[in-house]
Amino acid sequence: MTTEFEHAIEVENLKKFYGNLVAVNDISFNVRQGEVFAFLGPNGAGKTTTVEIADTIRMPTSGKVRILGMDVTKEKRGIVPRIGVLPQGFSSFDKITVRETMQYYSRLFCCRNADIDGLIDLVNLKDKAKEQYMKLSGGLKQRLGIAIALVNDPEVVFLDEPTTGLDPRARREVWEVLLGLKKEGKTVFLTTHYIEEAELLADTVAIISKGKIIAMDSPAQLIESNADYLVLTLQSGDEKAFEVLGKMGFNPDLNNHKSINVRVERTEDIRKILNAMKDAGAPLLSMDVRKPNLEQVFLKLTGKALDEGASGGKGAE
Amino acid sequence: MNLRVVGANLVVSMKTFCREKTTMFFTTTFPILLILVFGAIFVDQDKVNFDLCVQDLDQTETSAEIASALALTGKLKIIRVDPAIDAVQYARENKVNLVLVIPKDYEKSYVQYLQFDDPNAYAAIKYVYDPSSSSVVTKMQILEMVFAKLNQGLSGKPAFVRTAEISIHTREYRFIDFFIPGIIAMAVMTASLFGTVNVNTELRQKGIIRKLSTTPITRTEWILSNILYQFVLAVISTTAMLLVSYAVFDVKLQINAWLPLFVVLDVFTFVGIGMILTRIVREAQSAAAAANAIIFPMMFLSGSFVPIEMMPRFLQTFAKTLPLYYVNEGLRASMVFHDNATALSYAAIIGTFAAMVFILGIMITRWEAGE
Repeated sequence: MTTEFEHAIEVENLKKFYGNLVAVNDISFNVRQGEVFAFLGPNGAGKTTTVEIADTIRMPTSGKVRILGMDVTKEKRGIVPRIGVLPQGFSSFDKITVRETMQYYSRLFCCRNADIDGLIDLVNLKDKAKEQYMKLSGGLKQRLGIAIALVNDPEVVFLDEPTTGLDPRARREVWEVLLGLKKEGKTVFLTTHYIEEAELLADTVAIISKGKIIAMDSPAQLIESNADYLVLTLQSGDEKAFEVLGKMGFNPDLNNHKSINVRVERTEDIRKILNAMKDAGAPLLSMDVRKPNLEQVFLKLTGKALDEGASGGKGAE
Repeated sequence: MNLRVVGANLVVSMKTFCREKTTMFFTTTFPILLILVFGAIFVDQDKVNFDLCVQDLDQTETSAEIASALALTGKLKIIRVDPAIDAVQYARENKVNLVLVIPKDYEKSYVQYLQFDDPNAYAAIKYVYDPSSSSVVTKMQILEMVFAKLNQGLSGKPAFVRTAEISIHTREYRFIDFFIPGIIAMAVMTASLFGTVNVNTELRQKGIIRKLSTTPITRTEWILSNILYQFVLAVISTTAMLLVSYAVFDVKLQINAWLPLFVVLDVFTFVGIGMILTRIVREAQSAAAAANAIIFPMMFLSGSFVPIEMMPRFLQTFAKTLPLYYVNEGLRASMVFHDNATALSYAAIIGTFAAMVFILGIMITRWEAGE
């Protein structure tokens, strides 16, 4: 069982159709052992479909998916004991307590010596061990889901939107747990539509849109290779500022109705903009020039912001 | 097949059952309440007392004897009506379905008939009645019997045609003896069908089935543990119902190997139907509605509550197409009538049906989320 593979997950020309709908359109990628790999994309991009094919819930239409060297369509029985899965919108038996739920899943995997208390500790649920599932808050439920995904000490962990629907504090608590997994050296395949989640946790991020991977690299490298421009953020007391920028041929973007983001290719453009503002009589309150972050890379690559059409919904993909 | 996995599932189901008060109620308390309610209604059916209003317009000793003779049947409780008022109006105003009116000059005609042998002398007793009432027919039958005896006594000769009753059963049965097997069959059906529909739709909708499909539990282990769970529930509810029936109504039922066999077949049949149903109707609410659509005709038309002989001919034919009919009648054949041959043939019919739906159910139940 300890055979070493370079790649824990290998995906080759994967396609999945639902009738006429193309959910996953010919994607290929590999996940190294011990790597945290994140699929980043809006709802409906094909994240869940891909992860559910990889974790044996669904069958592919065509293409090859191998987990720890085993084909998902033929060797499910060999794969299942060695992976841990937190499915999208995870839920469990309402009237069963945290501890009983852990015992139940450990029995399903027939691991007699599963460290149930250790796992409950790991996800910080010690105080809630005797609480019934239905009485847990959303964040606690997700943490239990992660503990369950680890009950068989899996080599590969699949986490499908582990923090969707959680408030920022609960999200941070889940991140703590996931950073712990990363330290342990588990291979993790994560899907998310939160950019900071991917940036914080992932070694490799694949940006997926409309069933295709449009970019894949480490977060830093993604920014570096797509950062052939600067982002100028300015705040003006006058609404004219937005119009002026438009007339100059830039494509300004109103940010929370307070500041304006402009993409500039050359540094001398910044001087031009400042002069134009002065001429138009639109005083500047503040100004900031930065390299783009992952969010702006995403915007550049996909042409739209990630939260468009993905406002916290848990739609199936 | 891993029994540890099956056991783990059974434990979770039983814990949920014990902590879910509504499931507990519908599995154990509800059938018991049904037995208590219907038992109380029907237990003294043979000793029913009808009220009978009698208006004596003659007010003589002879006419009074009629009322006494009627009271002596033990089936009628006599209520006297004032001779001064109109019987029809009285019946209407007091919502009385039958008033027996003894005519004036009753005694005079009686003497004329008996002492002077006058064949033209007679007494015209009137029934003022409401034909829309159902119990009025029974009352009038009782009255006819009493008057026939009276006439025959007056004729001075002993009766020529005499009747004797020989029951085909060695013992006397009460309605409650007939009723209990029907309620057992019905309660097991309801629990198995709803249990299966609920487990399959609820766990699917919540995504628990999806999670389970990423663990080593197989479809067979899952179905087996669910059916075991339904058996446990069926044993609990059947035991509870029998205990109450013995304790409260002192039923005389024979408990033998047929009882567990029919309960097992009942479970298999309706778990199978439940699996087929949830494959066809996927939404929890529509599945529950579809389950109701199956349960109600079974409950009322398969003879759980009333003997199907009381139903119109076409409904009797229909009843014999319902699986629950064979469980009802099979249980009655064994528990009430000690008729092993009938029990065996009904067990064979329901057994074949159970095997068919159960195998079909297993074949079409999907574990994975999509193909």
